[in-house]
Amino acid sequence: MRAFVRTALTWLPPLLVLTLAGCATPPPASDPDALAYYNETNDPLEPFNRKMYAVNNALDAAVLRPASIAYKDVLPEFLRTGIHNILGNLHTPVQLSNDMLEGKPRRAGDTYMRFLINTTVGVLGFFDVAKGWGYPDHDADFGMTMAQWGVGPGPYLYLPVLGPNDPRDFAGFGVDIAADPFTWVGQGAVVQGLGYGKWALTALDQRSRLLGEISNIKKTALDPYATFRSLYRQHRTSQIEEMENDNRATVPVWFRQPAADH
Amino acid sequence: MPSRRSLLTTSAAWLALGAAARAQSPEAAARAFVKSTGDRLVGVANGPGSSQQKRQEMTRVIDQVVDVDGVARFCLGRYWRQATPQQQQRYMAVFHQVLVTNITSKLGEYRGVSFVVGRSTADADNVSVDTTVNRPNNPPSDVKWVIANPTSGPKIVDVVAEGTSLRLTQRSDYASYLNQHGGSVEALITAMQHQVEQDEASG
Repeated sequence: MRAFVRTALTWLPPLLVLTLAGCATPPPASDPDALAYYNETNDPLEPFNRKMYAVNNALDAAVLRPASIAYKDVLPEFLRTGIHNILGNLHTPVQLSNDMLEGKPRRAGDTYMRFLINTTVGVLGFFDVAKGWGYPDHDADFGMTMAQWGVGPGPYLYLPVLGPNDPRDFAGFGVDIAADPFTWVGQGAVVQGLGYGKWALTALDQRSRLLGEISNIKKTALDPYATFRSLYRQHRTSQIEEMENDNRATVPVWFRQPAADH
Repeated sequence: MPSRRSLLTTSAAWLALGAAARAQSPEAAARAFVKSTGDRLVGVANGPGSSQQKRQEMTRVIDQVVDVDGVARFCLGRYWRQATPQQQQRYMAVFHQVLVTNITSKLGEYRGVSFVVGRSTADADNVSVDTTVNRPNNPPSDVKWVIANPTSGPKIVDVVAEGTSLRLTQRSDYASYLNQHGGSVEALITAMQHQVEQDEASG
């Protein structure tokens, strides 16, 4: 995984140059409707983003989509669900630290209990036993944490391989990789191989869960690029809202409950 | 013999009681509506019949339960007022078909679908009803149904899947298309018609 971080860092500067070269010019103030639309979509890099969207589509059609279809065809559902659960369980350190940085003690407690229960009773995370025991999963990443701290998303960004993004979430993605102990543990070819394996499996897992949805959007949207842009933002907003609204009390059930709710 | 006044009071009380029993809360009414509508949709999805028959069946259900005109107007946004009355009419007609097409094209994927109705919450205008949709071979998904006028003629005005609103997404799709075609509603209608024809040819 360290090699991956290094590669990412080498690619970042040329990517930024490319990005700046792909800037669109805002419409003149004499056209208020067009200007309102431009500000509303908040996608000043649209020409660059659309090129990257085309690149990703080609990559997806050539590699990820066929691989995901094969993944779904070959592995039975219970095995795919198990792999999904194991990957989620391995992600616990990142999720837990973000729960705490968001100032959400109950969410952190859920994550902690999920890890304890699923790693033991759930056989190294294969079965999500904790969900049935009252500790459901939730989303937490450093992009959401920054949102909780008041950082706005910034303009839309469509990145090669990673897809829909924005500067806040892209930075958060980098921080989450750096914060993941699995990025730093161990040495040698085996560990590196496992790291890449986990990364590839994550990609297959996520893509295979969206096979129907993505092909449907491409079929039914007049402008799939704009549709994915809207979907990405709405999805992020709802994840963040759900996190912000999760204000369950931290008082134990056997203790006198605060009267604030009544 | 009871006095006339007490008789009146008693009958008034009975009337009030009867009315209270009939009148549901908006939340409960919306939940019942989503349950019955969902059952009908699942019935079409899992039922027998050719794709042509299913499409007809679907059109009938959608006409009854979705506020198609309201959603159509919302999706066109500021361009609604810019369109001529004749364009508005043609847009409405083709939007109707697009909606049916989009929903029926998903029907194949929804074979074996089931759903569970969760809690519902009311805001100023509408009631939102949470459901969990389970499809075989797919992870379960959270779908929220936004219902207008739950107690008097309920209609679906939006469907929010995993936090993404169907009508908002559709609106941004059309807005982007219009922006790239000089704001021509005519071009949008043509593209929508093309889409429906293409789907009918492939289906």
